[in-house]
Amino acid sequence: MTTTHESIAFDVLFVGGGPACLAGAIRLMQLARQKGLDLEVALIEKGADIGAHIISGAILNPTALKELLPDYLERGCPIEAQVNADAFYFLTRKKALRLPFIPAPMRNRGAYVISLSRFTRWLSKIAENLGVNIFTGFAGSEVLYGNGAARIVGVRTGDKGLDKAGAPKSNFEAGIDLHAKVTVFGEGARGSLMKTIGNRLNLYAGRQPEVFETGIKEVIQLPTENMFEDFGVNDIHLMGYPLDIETPGGGFIYGMGQGRMAIGYLVALGYKNPWLDPYELFLAFKQHPFVAHLIAGGRVLEQGARTVSAGGYYTVPRLYADGALFVGAAAAMHNPPALKGIHLAMKSGMLAAETIVDALEKQDITTRSLSAYRRRVDDSWVKTEMFAGRNFAQALAAGVPLKFIHLAVQQLTGGRGLRDPLPTHSDHTTLRPAKSRPAPAAKATVACDNTLMVDKLTGVYLSKTKHREDQPSHIQVHDPQLCIDRCLPTYGSPCTRFCPGEVYEIVTGEKDAQPYLKLNPSNCLHCKTCDIKDPFENVTWTCPEGGEGPGYKLL
Amino acid sequence: MEIVVLLKQVPSTESLVTIAEDGATIKTEDVNWIISPYDEFAVEEALRIREAVGGSVTILSVGPDKATEAIRTALAMGADKGVLVNDPAAVECDGLGTARILAAALKQMPYDLVIAGQRAVDDENFQVGPAVAEFLDIPCITLVIKEEMGDGVIRCHRTMEGGTAVLEAPLPMLFTTQRGLNEPRYASLPGVMKAKRKPLENKTLADIGLAAADFSQPLVRVTALKPPPQRSGGRMIEADDAQTKAAELVKLLHEEAKVI
Ligand SMILES: Cc1cc2nc3c(=O)[nH]c(=O)nc-3n(C[C@H](O)[C@H](O)[C@H](O)COP(=O)(O)OP(=O)(O)OC[C@H]3O[C@@H](n4cnc5c(N)ncnc54)[C@H](O)[C@@H]3O)c2cc1C
Repeated sequence: MTTTHESIAFDVLFVGGGPACLAGAIRLMQLARQKGLDLEVALIEKGADIGAHIISGAILNPTALKELLPDYLERGCPIEAQVNADAFYFLTRKKALRLPFIPAPMRNRGAYVISLSRFTRWLSKIAENLGVNIFTGFAGSEVLYGNGAARIVGVRTGDKGLDKAGAPKSNFEAGIDLHAKVTVFGEGARGSLMKTIGNRLNLYAGRQPEVFETGIKEVIQLPTENMFEDFGVNDIHLMGYPLDIETPGGGFIYGMGQGRMAIGYLVALGYKNPWLDPYELFLAFKQHPFVAHLIAGGRVLEQGARTVSAGGYYTVPRLYADGALFVGAAAAMHNPPALKGIHLAMKSGMLAAETIVDALEKQDITTRSLSAYRRRVDDSWVKTEMFAGRNFAQALAAGVPLKFIHLAVQQLTGGRGLRDPLPTHSDHTTLRPAKSRPAPAAKATVACDNTLMVDKLTGVYLSKTKHREDQPSHIQVHDPQLCIDRCLPTYGSPCTRFCPGEVYEIVTGEKDAQPYLKLNPSNCLHCKTCDIKDPFENVTWTCPEGGEGPGYKLL
Repeated sequence: MEIVVLLKQVPSTESLVTIAEDGATIKTEDVNWIISPYDEFAVEEALRIREAVGGSVTILSVGPDKATEAIRTALAMGADKGVLVNDPAAVECDGLGTARILAAALKQMPYDLVIAGQRAVDDENFQVGPAVAEFLDIPCITLVIKEEMGDGVIRCHRTMEGGTAVLEAPLPMLFTTQRGLNEPRYASLPGVMKAKRKPLENKTLADIGLAAADFSQPLVRVTALKPPPQRSGGRMIEADDAQTKAAELVKLLHEEAKVI
């Protein structure tokens, strides 16, 4: 079957409705107004609404917001709370030791606690009022190339209405070719299109491999009488238990006001132990006496998961191509020691917008003029901030005691440390064979009441995730036999643990009693852990039908 | 053919619905909103009829500002124009009140055919469609799974316990939809762009000749909402072979669940 794809032309196309693209689109329209340019601008988002797939902590460093919308308070920016005090704890199995100092990048007093899902919804209204065409429920499924495949000319949106075998149903709707003079990719960590462009146009050449963390987060409604309100600190970070000392990661607890709390746990995907299960760690974290005390009597309102691009400065890819710019977490814009990326995502989008306006005015949309974006990034506070923490994630990934030595020397040398750059290692290469580590006795170790302690499947339910069942799987396992022949014996099928949505199961066939991989793609939270961590790079995550996936409101 | 679709915006079924402090309404702030699925069938069927015989499709809804999103979605699917009766006095309406409002709005516009969902999936009232037909004094056929348009008449296949019935009525008439009628189309991207420029009128009760005061006392009032009993997790029956599993299942269904 050959499908014809209608095409629509815009001046600028943004792919993704996160803080990076929304801030970029707003900045673009502001500049166009100032200069009297009439631009047709579109933004596509795979979620059913803006914010539906957006999950973050989140402590917002407001620097970029203040530059973009100085009157953000008058415009009703949704701020849940202001950080009144920070606390940093080290957890042992039973105890919580409050550290006497907070590392400088993590001092957040005065910063805002936000729900990024709400925040992006607010930004999208501003963008829309400035004339941006926002198309929610449309996933970019393919990059369109022109000029002998050297130039990016736009994006094709995904087909809708395919059945399980990929055949069109009665309501089939072919994807649309969205052409643009400049396409801005802001798909967030591990963008599915970004990955294909990176490989095709060699964006990662000469860079350290990108590394990631998986974060699981909940918003909990606390009872009227609760310990947390009396605690007096609404920004808490916690290290140590239940993670072993070798694996970087930790928890956060932020007060959102109205008796609501954001609680989350992040684990670096460079972990070595194939038995590790980030979700189980999150549950164990919530059961630690100190944490359990703070959340006692609460009820989980919403849950979700997402990866973070956590490598920092040396993992930032080439930021431009002919006809395209790369912004936000899709381009590894993150400040690892501060655990923050929102403000960098926004600023990178804004710098991209400035570059685009210049390029359109000069009528030159080749790398010659678009490369100015990289210079703008390097001349801005984005570089200063990211450069200071350039070796941080790498230091954490080192063994004990080396990591502490690295961190101490970096602290004294403005981030340079013992070796600069310290190398990163691709997350899919770090697992050790299963037999080298003790297998956990049984799987689910934590009893779940599904109110405060929720199991994986209830978590999927609380993410409001929805996918139509009768469509082709959006999770592509290239060689399912490899899962059984090599991954199961070597690593004990880590996908069944690292996926927070229980998309992957190894089940035994009724007839032949042989193990096989069973996929439940409709549980998928779009976190992309599988695409990153699978030790054989046997999984490719692609966008399902636009409008499907999580339905976050508060995360 | 002038076709009017009655459409309601409702919380999506994935939304986590919590009961508000008053015990009789739900909290709406963190809810995702969609077109009631039966109304989506109505939109699709209206578009198919228009494609077959020509004419126009108007979306008519009663709701707050937010409901314009649902109407825009229907316009993006291909409907021609929208009318939203948006009046604070209409918010607390019962089913019959809503039907009176819709009927009053319909009296001001041309229509040959009115299509409504069999029910809105939030209140599950099943009243509005038939009541509108009654107020307009036109024929009504409910739970339609197939229709055939004739010359001035419509033939509808309607589900009933254990089979289907075929009914005929002269136009103008109203029918309500049943699952299986069609597979609604997606709002296409060009459709979304066009929808922005399609007419969408806001009307108050006064605009359609009704007095707000008449709606202050609904005939039926919700006094309490109660959540369904807590879901308890499923149980896996462990056994070596299918036969033992089946026997255990039958035993549990009989003795514990008491359903057989
Ligand atoms: C648990 C957790 C806690 C965090 N805490 C903090 C914090 O406290 N402070 C902080 O500053 N940062 C924090 N971060 C990081 C921060 O969330 C990210 O840096 C930020 O969200 C990046 O913004 P972005 O716009 O680049 O990408 P995203 O926010 O990921 O947005 C990308 C958007 O693009 C859409 N999209 C992706 N691919 C496609 C496609 N092909 N077609 C159409 N749409 C697509 C997605 O659905 C999504 O809506 C945290 C992250 C996590 C996961």
